[in-house]
Amino acid sequence: MMTRWSDLNQVLGAMDLFRTRMNNVFNEFDRSHQSDLPWTGNGSFPRTNLTDTGDNLEVIAEVPGVAREDLNVKIQGNYLEISGQCASDAPEGYTVHRTERKKTSFSRSFTLPYDVDADKVQANIKDGLLKMILPKSEKAKPRQISIN
Amino acid sequence: MSENTELVTRNEGPGELVHRLPVAAPAVDIYENEHEILLHADMPGVVKDDIAINIDNGKMTLSGFRRLQSTGASAWREFTDTEYRRTFSVPQSIDIAKVHAEIKDGVLRLHLPKSDAAKPRQIEITAG
Repeated sequence: MMTRWSDLNQVLGAMDLFRTRMNNVFNEFDRSHQSDLPWTGNGSFPRTNLTDTGDNLEVIAEVPGVAREDLNVKIQGNYLEISGQCASDAPEGYTVHRTERKKTSFSRSFTLPYDVDADKVQANIKDGLLKMILPKSEKAKPRQISIN
Repeated sequence: MSENTELVTRNEGPGELVHRLPVAAPAVDIYENEHEILLHADMPGVVKDDIAINIDNGKMTLSGFRRLQSTGASAWREFTDTEYRRTFSVPQSIDIAKVHAEIKDGVLRLHLPKSDAAKPRQIEITAG
């Protein structure tokens, strides 16, 4: 009888593996980093994350190999534009076997969920990630209401 | 009587509890000159300590982990914690002991020097 149970265990183990894979389907949606996939247009570089931390909005963008001078960020109200240039870093005197990395200019614009205070925006770039902290404008900030 | 109607109770083994990061292949550029093969790989957000490069039996595996620290509510998310992993075949002419790499601004630059025996050589002809 015990052997039957271990067979069943194996089947259930396989089901668990399958379930884990299915749980990861959406996480792995972006597994390929080539941007020529049919469902990502040209306007999807750089990829960004936006989080809302209450007083601020935080935007993180993937910009590997892009120098600080080659990046432009424009903000007006709730409009954010990230544009720039991936400079070619091809070394001199080498023959090229493969070029998959992006070497063109790019531009992407977003409509933020709130107006932001463009004067107080902090932006820094580290390890190929552009991180911006965008403070919400005063009227967009959450406010505590006292109840009488 | 037990309410449990499960036929078997099983505990998850340690191997199944490991949280697996989604794996992505980094985009690479590969260049070659007479001294070395040079590989550039985009790995945004990966720091030096989270990169492993293994060369074994003619295969080189690059692996880099990215862990994003994010707080607050996510409004949209187009990338996540990722393991960048890609395997290449390495020709025998590479001097494995001299392979070195640096990472800057999320771009890994991997130098694979050729061994002296594989470098092109000019043969001088002596008058007999």
